[in-house]
Amino acid sequence: MRLTNHPILGEAEARREVTFTFDGRAMTGFEGEPVAAALKAAGVVVHRYTKKNRSPRGVFCAIGRCTDCVMTVNGRPNVRTCVTPLEDGMAVATQYGAGEEAK
Amino acid sequence: MTRYDVIVVGAGPAGLSAAAEAAAAGARVAVFDENAKPGGQLFKQIHKFFGAKEHKAKIRGVNIGAELLAEAEGLGVTVFLNAPVMGLYKDREVLVRHADAVRRYKGDAVVVATGASENMLTFPGWTLPGVTGAGAAQTMMNINRVKPGHRVLMLGSGNVGLVVGFQLLQAGCELAAVVDAAPRVGGYGVHAAKLARTGVPFYLSHTVVRAEGTDRVTGVVVGQVDDTWNVIPGTEKRFDVDTICIAVGLSSSTQLLKMAGCALRDDGAGWLPVCADDGETSMARVYAAGDVSGIEEASSAMIEGRIAGAAAVRKLGFVTEEALAVRMAELESALESLRGGMFAPGRRGKIPDKTDEGLPISASLLSRGYLDDAEVDQYPGVKKTAGIRPVIECTQNIPCNPCRDACPKGCIKVEGGIVSLPVYDEKAGCAGCGLCVAACSGQSIFLVDDDTGGGAAEVTIPYEFLPLPGEGERGVALSRSGAALCPAEVVGVKQSPAYDKTALVTFRVPQEFAMKARFWRKEAVV
Repeated sequence: MRLTNHPILGEAEARREVTFTFDGRAMTGFEGEPVAAALKAAGVVVHRYTKKNRSPRGVFCAIGRCTDCVMTVNGRPNVRTCVTPLEDGMAVATQYGAGEEAK
Repeated sequence: MTRYDVIVVGAGPAGLSAAAEAAAAGARVAVFDENAKPGGQLFKQIHKFFGAKEHKAKIRGVNIGAELLAEAEGLGVTVFLNAPVMGLYKDREVLVRHADAVRRYKGDAVVVATGASENMLTFPGWTLPGVTGAGAAQTMMNINRVKPGHRVLMLGSGNVGLVVGFQLLQAGCELAAVVDAAPRVGGYGVHAAKLARTGVPFYLSHTVVRAEGTDRVTGVVVGQVDDTWNVIPGTEKRFDVDTICIAVGLSSSTQLLKMAGCALRDDGAGWLPVCADDGETSMARVYAAGDVSGIEEASSAMIEGRIAGAAAVRKLGFVTEEALAVRMAELESALESLRGGMFAPGRRGKIPDKTDEGLPISASLLSRGYLDDAEVDQYPGVKKTAGIRPVIECTQNIPCNPCRDACPKGCIKVEGGIVSLPVYDEKAGCAGCGLCVAACSGQSIFLVDDDTGGGAAEVTIPYEFLPLPGEGERGVALSRSGAALCPAEVVGVKQSPAYDKTALVTFRVPQEFAMKARFWRKEAVV
């Protein structure tokens, strides 16, 4: 899913690879890219399940507006993954409901 | 509380332009933006802009963004990032949330340039992962450099849908179709034609019936609508897609203006601030500029920003009334020329039958996304002359003229305003340099040589995809509708800094296809 080369944007510049976990599974991404981008590149599309109907949600607006992509990051629920920069060692987890289970 | 002469909310095209304009007059300017990076949506616009030189036409949005940011910073503008503005109060007090604290600021003038957000469309399955805004797809591929999906359906044929659709192809995604409930393509015909010639089908008068999938989108069903917008049973079609992009318009982000108490008006599609010509709202020295004051293009947002910035510094006494009048005349005429043509804001929804020149507007272009082969000859950019010549398939009055400035021979005329159709002046003598092909933001200019000997003709097309074909490579020539016409060998591939990443690919076809072949595709490996 990564665009290493692009007809207009050219070759992607070198970025530092970091390791993070998604639901305990080790993954890699680039430091500073949105968490949602790292997940997308790794093929993860379900970010959370809603409180009442347990229906899946993913990235919708990608600019921090809609809050559909929120997840539990480092134990903290409701983090907008589309605007949160990825850090080395981050623990990213699927959020259930409003994140009550995170505690 | 920290005081600034001018506080700008939003570091997008309008905000940065307002800041630069005010700072150039000597004002102390601060810009607050909630994002980690400045530029708003400008850095994801990787296509060449329309307009004239004064609107930075034929420059890609991403490069305009870099230029604008450098200008603002060079003039001493302070840009605060990760700094959402939480409130705008009486006497222009601005409350900002920084990482460490919430701080109060005071602006002698405030320019609100908060932009817009994408409209949504609800249908069964619309909340599934894989249904995204078209802008979201653009952010993913052009900023984050991750493909939004493998196979995508675009809902909406306005300029956003068409431009993002093309960018999806550039990112290597497949575009299954462009679907719009309206009976006509909503955006520029040239943008539609770019997609159609690669083989993307248009389904006008169609809407989405449902998205399929349990945990993610695995398909989509669309159907034809009747004149009451209901799906006609039996017309449903299914597409295998993993992504559905929604491009059904934008709504101005007026929340901050509303909380401040600025008067708003209902323009039929949403609430907009009541503004004077210079952008001043009902609150003294509070200005609105860019999409927040009405949805238009980034090019107009930049001028509106400059108008608001100029008006603000005049109010604060940084420039004289005379100096302001001169600058305003300049800016207003630039804005006026962008607002002309058949897609002008005032004309929204009303498509004329004829161009300003009295030529028919192609019904095929509006309903299928491409010109009918038989219609092409009637436009003034298309003339049959011997030897190499430009064929300008620009058939709608849109504000754009870089083709005229590109031609070193003066072959192309755009006279009587920038919305006029370009005219090919055969007497000037085309040298075949291809600068017009690369300069056309709508990619609607081709070079054609009807007779290169042995019954062959050569067609040169703008090409912005990877991989670039090589000379001698064999492929297939496609028609305006994307149908395979005939085998075609690539005989030239030109790249140049002057073309700005648009390659020129020349391929050879039998003569009868010279005026039909408009795209080249590598032969599928069997």
